Parts: sequence; structure tokens; C-alpha cells
Amino acid sequence: MLAYARNAPFPALRRFPRRIGQAWRLPQTLAQILAMTPETGDWNALLCRVAQTRDRAAFASLFGHFAPRVKAYLLRLGATPALAEDLAQEALLSLWRKAHLFDPAKASAATWLFTIARNLRIDAIRREKRPELDPEDFMPEPGTAADDGLAQADEEVRLRAALKDLPADQIQVVELSFFADKPHSEIAEALGIPLGTVKSRLRLAMARLKRVLGEAE
Amino acid sequence: MIRHHPDEALLLAYAGGGADEAVSLIVATHMAYCETCRARATQLEALGGSLLQDLPPAPMSSDALQSVLTKLDEIKPVERPVRPVSRDGTPRVLRNYIGGDLRDMRWRQMGPNLSYVPLFRRGAVTARLLRGVPGAQTGPHRHGGQEYTLVLKGGFSDVTGSYAPGDLQMMEGDMRHNPVADPGEDCINLAVTTGPLKFESLFRKIVAPLFGF
Repeated sequence: MLAYARNAPFPALRRFPRRIGQAWRLPQTLAQILAMTPETGDWNALLCRVAQTRDRAAFASLFGHFAPRVKAYLLRLGATPALAEDLAQEALLSLWRKAHLFDPAKASAATWLFTIARNLRIDAIRREKRPELDPEDFMPEPGTAADDGLAQADEEVRLRAALKDLPADQIQVVELSFFADKPHSEIAEALGIPLGTVKSRLRLAMARLKRVLGEAE
Repeated sequence: MIRHHPDEALLLAYAGGGADEAVSLIVATHMAYCETCRARATQLEALGGSLLQDLPPAPMSSDALQSVLTKLDEIKPVERPVRPVSRDGTPRVLRNYIGGDLRDMRWRQMGPNLSYVPLFRRGAVTARLLRGVPGAQTGPHRHGGQEYTLVLKGGFSDVTGSYAPGDLQMMEGDMRHNPVADPGEDCINLAVTTGPLKFESLFRKIVAPLFGF
């Protein structure tokens, strides 16, 4: 806990992910220390510390929080416990290896790690390649506004709240999109409902999530 | 200006990791052209991040952290690979995958007007490049599964509309169409099918399986 508190970011930095690293301060009060449970801890900032100073304590905190979640994700997708354990370790090693490529303006640490775990799983379990977007591919189309990016961490908090408010049948198809390792035609078959119904539930869920995100801005 | 995009379910299958490899390839290649869908996919990945955060943790073995920490020193940060620039505007994501530019591919002739390059086949899922001279037709057909077509060069038209580079067409089941390559340059598409095409003409019915359709 002490090690965590020492390395934990100042909570207000959540809004200024680009400036992390320039403005480190130790927490001033007990209340601030208590506020920095892993739930509110700024994983993005810890990940930036790993990138900038190869901070092993920050890495250990990230490991403690995310490795068991990545393992749970892999178990949900049908990996054996031994494989899930191996791949979860592998995912966190990838985090160490790729930390300098992490851009807090584009994704939260959880989202970034999700994409790492997803690709590792496709690679290791499905033995397929994951076609990766190349960042140098093409310029932005004129007329589409680039995301301001600053709100990624806040967005994740709001998304998590909004997800819990979805109707059960919509949560189900959204979760299966991430945890079933199946295209939607097979998800529809497994649920015994038409593909059109799966798609319309997804549309409703996405419309609702977007509304929640839009309203909060 | 891209007018035809993947639907929510297709993007979600891509972002969630449930999509077949060939389907992921066509969605990723569409996103090379489409800033809008890239932003949509990023949002959907954030959904994955949120779900990950909320999963009940599965405890790691007691020595997991220690064993990972001892490996950290041996690890060198990855460099972004430097890859050659395409000479004919082939999107990099596709180029990295097929190992060259469109014009480097070995095109196999399939009748006087059409040629193709097989890229991928797993079970019923296939990905191929298709090329048609202006006016070339695939012939009227329906679908034994989904058919996704992404225009890379030129364009084509059918009853559902006109498609230009970057546009992604989704067809399935009993939807019937007969795509015709637009005038001008050759039309080159990336095409993914999750089931056989059901051609109407007897000739195509006989010939199609020979070419793996």
C-alpha cells in the first residue's frame, strides 16, 4: 500500500494526461492517499511512468490490477487456467515492452491493455494474424473533427456506469461481442434468435451509450 | 468521401476480436480510408476496456509478479517497424498483410474481363482480390453467407448503389445483385465471403467452384 501511495499519481492529473510527468506531486493529505484506491487510481499515469522512467513499482501496481483481469478475460474466452496465466503474464510483459507507444490521448490504460490481450489471444489461441492498422495509413478525411482525446479516462468511467444501465438483453449481446469469440451470426444461433435481432439490440445499446457519452460532454 | 460503412455489429466484431481474420482484414482496410470508422472502432475498444475493468479478477499464481519482474531487464522496447512506402497507393494495413503492392500480385485470369488473387481461406471464409475491366460483371447472384466487398481502385455499381474507393458493401442471404465495374480504370476490390455465392446462370454455377467461389 505504501509503495502504491508513493507511486500513485495526483488524482487531479486525470484531466491533463498530456502533462503527466511534468507535474508530479506527492499526495498532501491522508484523504488524498485514501482516495487513491486502485478503483480511482490513474492507471494512465502509472503507464506513462513506466514509459518515461521504466518505473518498476508503477509496473508492479499495473500488474497487480490488470493481470488478474486479463486472466479473467482469457478464462471467459475458454482458455485453460494455465494458458490464461501465461498469456496474462505475456500481456503485462508486452505492456512493459510497448509502454512508450501508449498514447493517453487516444485510449485509457484499460482499453490499451484490452487490445493487447485481444490480439495476443487471437495470435496464441486462434492462431490467426490480427491485421493491424498502420498509423501512417492515410491522412484524416477533411471535415471530420479529430477527437479531443483529453476525456478518455473520464469517458471510460462514464461508459462503465452506462453499461450497467443497459437492459439485460442488450448487455448480453454486447458482452458476447467481446467474450464469445464468435461472429454475430454464430452468436445469434447460440442464443436462438435471428441475426437481425442481435444487430438491432447492438444498435440500441450503442445509441444509448453514445447518448450517455454525448450528454456528459 | 466514404458513403458505405460497416454496420455496428461488424465493427463490434472487429473491435471485440470475434470476427474472422479475413473479416478483420477488410474492416481494418476500410478504416485506412475512413477516419469516421476508426473513431467508432476506438470507442468500441473503450467498451472492451470498460468490460475488462469490471471483470471479477482471477487470482494470478503467487510467484507470477516475481517471475515477470525478473524478465523485465531482458526486454528491449519494441521499435515501430519501418516499412517501405506503397508505390500504387495500396493501404499499408493491406500491404503489410499481403506482402506487397496490388500491382505486385500474381493475378489469375478468370474469363476475359475478371482476374483474382486468392489471399486466405479457412473453412467457408475466403478473402480474395478481384479485378474487373470497365463493364465487367460478376453475374447475378445471391449469397450462402455474408459477402463483404471493399473498393480499392475504380468503382462498381449495382442495384444497391455505387461504390468508390474506401466504400464497403455488405450483402447477405437472399439479397440479389449483379455488380458491374464502372467506366474508367479497372475496378479492384478486396472481397470476403463467409459462404459460397449462389449464381443464377448455369455457366457461372459450373465455373465458379473451379475458381474457389
